[in-house]
Amino acid sequence: MTVENPNPETGEINLVDREFAAAPQPVYRRVLSRCPIARSSFGAGPVLSRYEDVIWALRHPEIFSSEMEVQMALGTERPMIPQQIDPPAQTRYRKILDPRFSRRRMAELIPQLRSQANALIDRFIDAGECEFDGAFAIPLPCTAFLSLMGLPQKDLDLFLELKNGIIRPQVDPGDVEGATRVRSTSGKRIYAYFEAVIDERAAQPRDDMIGYLLGAEIDGNKLSHTEILDICFLLLLAGLDTVTSTLGCNIAYLAANPEHRRRLVADPTLIPGAVEELLRWETPVTCVPRVIKQDLTLHDVAIKKGEVVTLLLGASNLDESEFVDPERIDFERKRNRHIAFGAGAHRCLGSHLARMELEVALEEWHRRIPEYRIKPGETPRYSPGIREVQYLPLVWNTQR
Amino acid sequence: MKVLVDSALCVGHGRCYVLGPEVFREDERGRCWIDSHQVPRELEDQARLGEANCPENAIRLETQ
Repeated sequence: MTVENPNPETGEINLVDREFAAAPQPVYRRVLSRCPIARSSFGAGPVLSRYEDVIWALRHPEIFSSEMEVQMALGTERPMIPQQIDPPAQTRYRKILDPRFSRRRMAELIPQLRSQANALIDRFIDAGECEFDGAFAIPLPCTAFLSLMGLPQKDLDLFLELKNGIIRPQVDPGDVEGATRVRSTSGKRIYAYFEAVIDERAAQPRDDMIGYLLGAEIDGNKLSHTEILDICFLLLLAGLDTVTSTLGCNIAYLAANPEHRRRLVADPTLIPGAVEELLRWETPVTCVPRVIKQDLTLHDVAIKKGEVVTLLLGASNLDESEFVDPERIDFERKRNRHIAFGAGAHRCLGSHLARMELEVALEEWHRRIPEYRIKPGETPRYSPGIREVQYLPLVWNTQR
Repeated sequence: MKVLVDSALCVGHGRCYVLGPEVFREDERGRCWIDSHQVPRELEDQARLGEANCPENAIRLETQ
C-alpha cells in the first residue's frame, strides 16, 4: 500500500523515493495547496515550496546560508568554492568566475560540442536503439567539462568514475558507512588529480581554466592552490550530473509526448523555449538545502537557528501565483521566471553552459533521430534528489 | 516606453539579453546593462520579454 505524498496525517513530504523522482509534479501540487511549510521525512527539516517564499530565501543568504557543516558527506575536506560559502567572500570569487562562464564565452564551445554530440550519436544510430543515459546523457556533459577545463578527452572514463564515487557510490542501500568511505576515497583522488594539474600549469602556464585561475587575483592577491582546488572540485561535482539529469528528463518527456516533440522537429527555433519550459516543468535539481542563521517565523511556523531547510525549487516552478496555467507545457510561454537554476547570489554559475549544452544536444538529437519512443514494455527509472533518468531505453526506426 | 534595470538585483541569469538583444546588453560578468532608458517603439516587445523573464524582478518598464 502506498501512502500519499506528502503524508496527509503527518504532513511529512518524502523527497527521496523513486516514485517522487519519476513524477514529482502531483506531489508539488499537493504540497503547494496544503502546506506552505512541510516537513521532510528525511531529517525532518522545514520544506519551503511557494515561489514567493523560496525566491525570498534565495535572495537572503544572510538568513538562509549555504555554509553547511556537512561537506564531509560529499567527500570534500573543505567547503566547495563558491557554492558552499556566503557573500561577501562568495561575491569575490564570483567576480573571477562569472566572466569565464558567461554566455558569450560558452558560445565559443558550441562547434566542438556539436561535433562531440554527433560522434556519440554515430555510435548507436544504426542500431535503432540505445540506453540514453549511458550512451548520451552521461558522456556529453563530461566531454564538455573536459573542453571547458582544457583537460584531455582521454580522461573521460576516469572523471565519470570519480564523480560517480562521490554522487552515487556503489554500495548496498542503507550502507552509510560504506558510502562515506567510497566518497572519501574518491574525494582524495579528485584532489590529487587536480593538484597534479595545478602544479603542471604553474610550471608551464597555459591559457585554460586552471591557467586562468592561477593568474586570477582577489584584491591584489593570487588565489592559493587550495582555493583553486576547491573551485575545481565544485566544477566537477556541479557540472556533470545536473546536465546529464536534465538531458534525460527532457528526452524522456519528449519520447512520451510526441505532439510536443514533432513541433521541435518541424521548427528547431522552438528549442531554446522548450529548454526553458522543460527546466520549469521537470526541474531536475528538485531542491537545494540552506542552513538557518537566525530564528524566524514564517507562515506561523517557528524555524530555529541551525535548522536545515529545503527549498523545493520544483514546486516553486509550478506555483500558480507566479505562473499562468502552470500545468500547461508551452514552449512559447511569454512569461517564464523559473528558478531551476536558483536565484540570488548563488544563481547557478554554469547556467549558460548548461543551456548551451541542452540546446545543442536537442538540436543535434532531433536532426538525426526525429522519431523515437520509449522501448515498449520498459519503464524509465529516475533517481531521487537530482533526477537522473538512470535507465532510459529508447528505440527508433533505422529505415531512412 | 522607458526601461529601468536595478543592477543591485541583477545576478546574470541572462534571460533579458537573450530574449531582447537589441534592448539589453551583456557585460563581462554576464550581467545586464542598457545604453538607453528609452525604448524605440519597434523594440518594445523585446523590452517586455526581458521584463517578463527576469527571475530577479530587476527590470521595470514605464509606459508614457
